[in-house]
Amino acid sequence: MNIKFLYKNSKTGIIVLAMLLLCLFPFTTTNAQNINASATLDSTTILIGGQIDLKLEVSLPNGTMVNFPTFNDTITSNIEIVEKGGIDSLKLDNNRIVLSQIFRITSFDSGLHYIPPIKFEILDGELKKVADTDPLSLMVVNPFKEVDPQKGMFDIKGVQDTPFKLSEILNYIYLFGGIILVIALAIWGFIYFRNRKKGEGSIFIKAKPDEPPHVIALRELDKIKSAKLWENNKVKEFYTSVSNTLRFYIENRYHLPAMEQTSHEILKDIKKNTDIDKPILEQLTQVLELSDLVKFAKFEPLPDEHALSLMNAYFFVDKTKENIIKSLEEEKEALMEKAKDSNN
Amino acid sequence: MEQSIDIRELNERIKTESSFVDLLTIEMNKVIVGQKHLVEGLLIGLLSDGHILLEGVPGLAKTLAINTLATIVDADFSRIQFTPDLLPADLLGTMIYSQKKEEFVIKKGPIFTNFVLADEINRAPAKVQSALLEAMQERQVTIGETTYKLQEPFLVMATQNPIEQEGTYPLPEAQVDRFMLKIVIDYPEKEEEQMIIRHNLAQSFPKASSILKPEDIIKARKVVKDVYMDEKIEKYIVDIVFATRFPEKYNLDKYKEMISYGCSPRASISLSMAAKAYAFIKRRGYVIPEDVRAVCHDVLRHRIGLSYEAEANNVTSIEVINDILNTVEVP
Repeated sequence: MNIKFLYKNSKTGIIVLAMLLLCLFPFTTTNAQNINASATLDSTTILIGGQIDLKLEVSLPNGTMVNFPTFNDTITSNIEIVEKGGIDSLKLDNNRIVLSQIFRITSFDSGLHYIPPIKFEILDGELKKVADTDPLSLMVVNPFKEVDPQKGMFDIKGVQDTPFKLSEILNYIYLFGGIILVIALAIWGFIYFRNRKKGEGSIFIKAKPDEPPHVIALRELDKIKSAKLWENNKVKEFYTSVSNTLRFYIENRYHLPAMEQTSHEILKDIKKNTDIDKPILEQLTQVLELSDLVKFAKFEPLPDEHALSLMNAYFFVDKTKENIIKSLEEEKEALMEKAKDSNN
Repeated sequence: MEQSIDIRELNERIKTESSFVDLLTIEMNKVIVGQKHLVEGLLIGLLSDGHILLEGVPGLAKTLAINTLATIVDADFSRIQFTPDLLPADLLGTMIYSQKKEEFVIKKGPIFTNFVLADEINRAPAKVQSALLEAMQERQVTIGETTYKLQEPFLVMATQNPIEQEGTYPLPEAQVDRFMLKIVIDYPEKEEEQMIIRHNLAQSFPKASSILKPEDIIKARKVVKDVYMDEKIEKYIVDIVFATRFPEKYNLDKYKEMISYGCSPRASISLSMAAKAYAFIKRRGYVIPEDVRAVCHDVLRHRIGLSYEAEANNVTSIEVINDILNTVEVP
């Protein structure tokens, strides 16, 4: 209203207007200069995949609103953001405030990368201003050899040679050696005291030799004989027991899977793998074939045939038994046991 | 004692009744060179009223074998080539309109015969396979509203080619189970092949003569059913079948993860029937463990489902059966 009045009324009004304008210009310039935006990098050079911090900072009068630039994952197409820090504020004494934000960045593309000016939006009342940072450049260095597929594939690094050093394990040998020794002593102590309790005295017990197959077979045949199975009309049971005893004997004596074989297969395997005389084989054949007839065909042999089968079974075991050569010590033990039995 | 006499009588009866087996084998061998296993399998299937799935490369006398068997038994025979465009009606028959009679009349399909050779069964779609397998199981066919009984004896021999699996419709497990035996035939021996060449070059193909009637087979089947099977053998069969289902219970832990499903009760029935037929062929009135072991591979090989792990380890159903036979205690 005052300006209008002065413009209309006098030349001095023009001078005053000019003075006013002159006063206003330095003020706006100062206001713009009061907002300083900057972007700084820790280093201008990094190795490929290396990480550095990009610091964005804006200094402005207290109470001024500012919009920090928003980045998603990248600063530029070549520069990626690894970690985004929060906005930090620092109040200065001169009624100003410094806002800063740190971005951890990396790049996987070698070469010189240009970071264009980063824009901050300043809201000064209803006015919207923009403060730019200076552009930056980042050099990304590739330390590896360039791979030329035409030249073929090669290792980036050669195989690392790590020779064995005794000193490496010496640090641990006493520790582990001590643990093993303690465990061994504990086991020995446990066995020793357990055996002492039992009265055995020694931790080393002489293993009893396995019974020879013919001893087991003859004992079983004795049991069958004394059970008088066929005399009690248990003919099928009698033949099943006799044939099973012979099959078990053959399995252990000749190491043939006789329990899982048919009579025909057993006879075939025995003929093939052993040098048993024909008459003995015929006796075995008689027992097995007759047993099959009784077991699977409800055949009822004559009483003479039962006796003959049992006799043939005894005969087969006796004629094919393994000759075991006893050591002097074993002979001595056997004699002593015999003497003990006779005394009792 | 009475039971004992029965067995002796049965043995004598079987020796008499099974005398045709030798003649039949001689006639078959006149025409078929080698392939003894195939001939034996055909006989087992014929005598135990079971159907046969045959796997072998082309040219191994599959058609000739069943044709010869039909000639020897003086029975009807038809060969159906299974193709992707085959329809159930092409197999079973259909109703066609007779202009002369002015009504629909039944046109029976090639299944109405004694011996059927379903060549390359896996080349036809599932609906045709189902139609055949239903007829095999039910022994009757329904066309329109009428049900027709199939002829007796009725034996289906279906073939599968182990190569060229492209564009085939593999038989589902449930349907394969309906075949009593799956026989895998291989190439003939050198001497046998030489003999085949001679026959062909001389154009002097021996012809089999008809020595049996279909009624003789039906009669023989009744005798086969009478073959004595002891409880011990039954238990042995059950043990073998159970070992395919629960291998870990028979010290075959290695197959626990390799067998996805074991044999069905139909396998136990088929194994006992086939063992009886085998005993009959061997002219015996009772079954012995050898009989079970002789037919075990053909009866069980298509009934054991192997897992991916087994396939990855190249484990076949035959290896599984061999291990089971070598582990299960013989009575």
